Amino acid sequence: MAPPVLAVSGLNVRFHTNDGVLTAVNDLSFELGEGECLGIVGESGSGKSQTFMAALGLLADNGEAGGSVRFRGQEILNAPRKVLDGIRGNRISMIFQDALSALTPTMRIGNQMTELLARHRRLGRNEARARAIEALEGVRIPDAAARFSSYPFELSGGMRQRAMIALATLCGPEVIIADEPTTALDVTVQSQVLRLLDGLRQRTRTSIVLITHDLAVVAGLCSRVMIMYGGRVVETGPVREIFRNPRHPYTQALLRSMPSMTTDPGTDLPAIPGQPPDLENLPPGCPFADRCEHVFERCLEQMPSLVPVGDRHSKACHLEPGP
Amino acid sequence: MNPPLLSVRRLSIQYSVRQSGLFGRTRQLQAVDDVSFDLMPGETLGIVGETGCGKSSLGKGVLQLVRPSAGQVLWQGRDLCQLSPQQLKPFRKDLQIIFQDPLSSLNPRMTVGEIVGEPLELHAPELDTSGRERAVDAMLERVGLRAEMKRRYPNEFSGGQCQRISIARAMIMQPRVIVCDEPVSALDVSIQAQICNLLRELQRDTGVALLFISHDLSIVRYMSHRVMIMYLGRVMETAPREHFFGAARHPYSRALISAVPQPDPDQPTAGPVITLDGDLPSPLDPPSGCVFRTRCPHAIPLCAGQPPALESFGQDHEAACHRARELQ
Repeated sequence: MAPPVLAVSGLNVRFHTNDGVLTAVNDLSFELGEGECLGIVGESGSGKSQTFMAALGLLADNGEAGGSVRFRGQEILNAPRKVLDGIRGNRISMIFQDALSALTPTMRIGNQMTELLARHRRLGRNEARARAIEALEGVRIPDAAARFSSYPFELSGGMRQRAMIALATLCGPEVIIADEPTTALDVTVQSQVLRLLDGLRQRTRTSIVLITHDLAVVAGLCSRVMIMYGGRVVETGPVREIFRNPRHPYTQALLRSMPSMTTDPGTDLPAIPGQPPDLENLPPGCPFADRCEHVFERCLEQMPSLVPVGDRHSKACHLEPGP
Repeated sequence: MNPPLLSVRRLSIQYSVRQSGLFGRTRQLQAVDDVSFDLMPGETLGIVGETGCGKSSLGKGVLQLVRPSAGQVLWQGRDLCQLSPQQLKPFRKDLQIIFQDPLSSLNPRMTVGEIVGEPLELHAPELDTSGRERAVDAMLERVGLRAEMKRRYPNEFSGGQCQRISIARAMIMQPRVIVCDEPVSALDVSIQAQICNLLRELQRDTGVALLFISHDLSIVRYMSHRVMIMYLGRVMETAPREHFFGAARHPYSRALISAVPQPDPDQPTAGPVITLDGDLPSPLDPPSGCVFRTRCPHAIPLCAGQPPALESFGQDHEAACHRARELQ
């Protein structure tokens, strides 16, 4: 098997707050393969975004990360800024949920793009401009030459999101981390953006990490998925396997509780009771224990570790042999 | 057939928008354009559309939180649009609203008990303090919170709990209609189902009618008896749920339905996705004729000339498209 592009092992992320220490990511390990699209699903506070903020040295000032993140074999966690600057926006780039706050508001779209090319590719002005316009056309922005001189606020939401994708892909990155790239978009625009990402992956063998709270978005795009809850991975496996044969009670409950176009409107939704976990007071055992219908004594005392339950399919649950 | 609880007739809402620059002129933005519908007792009408389609403005216009520029909102024989704020007061207890962002719609300086009890002070002054307290306790329990939580402040609660508080505040006067403006969009997936179930349960128990505004068709399908699709302020299609999801007539409705992602890797959408090119036109400068024509895969010259009227396609089913019949 080819070596992974990105290998995360034993990653921990903590934030020091006025109320104490908050654990955002807890002992997280996974690998991302070449040309793979990995979905990371979780609710707010599950640690899905902070994992990658930590990996790229973008944590807030009160955050600290431990463990290891290797990119093509090179350790990048807590690496010096000089090393990270050569990687960020160049070999690993990010797409955020809110394009308006992710783009520089006072800089024209085109200048943000040519700046990146000047920095990482040492391109001259005209050449950079041509490359940038080409990239804008690549994400099907109409009248790309004119949009090159637009400010971010002058574009519609869908167009801004596409401009950010153009910016993220400009230097031909090996990894794209897309953090809720379509959450702020309307459903018809969402499908445009998802297709764009998928086309890109197929053409260039770029690896994509798709971070989302929406299992349905993962179903259409990813080959493998990792389900996070309370800063931990609770289940991971091939997408088809996770949807057909979910083994962790949280995954099962999440899939059941989502209304789909085939849900019978005459019945109540099987909702998950309770509230998401309090990250400042995580229990010693399984973070899902107090909402789990199968909970027993051991769940409250001991965190279950991730164990294989099938081909490339693992879950972290004490319940055996699995429901 | 029963008479409708609430009738909206040819409602239009305009906003004045000043263009940027020192000498920018003021222009009229037509947020809601000639919208009519009836709401039956105990019914949920889902109002669906993308950002800027006027669905939230419509909800606020019905409640007179935004004053419509034309049309009528008929409620118990009165046109709410004609009433002064003072005259509207007695009607407010029957017509309530729940907003998308649960935390920002609750006063951070009031305790949960004060928030939920405030409508009683205004609309039921005959209740004494202990009577009010009993009503608040019962309402909190009813929405799945504990009565002792009434001494706490909104910031101590999670998003889902705040939405329960909003629902308790809306329900305490036993309203006949609640406008739910994206009530679950800001909540975590595992909490959305809890709130959907709660709203349906309250509707079953009290017969309250809901105007359920959302951009999420999976949730609208689950919640609504009837569906109304809006685009740039106009109604594109209205139909009972089964008709809409089984036999939508308007090309925009079909594109919306086709784009809904499904939690199924073998069938990530319900059928082939109908791609809509481009973006929503500016509502300040809507296309001539049919407002949807610039993104419609079936547009013909006629569509640019004349706005299509709503045509009937069976019981309670209407669509506004020049080509709806031939495309069938």
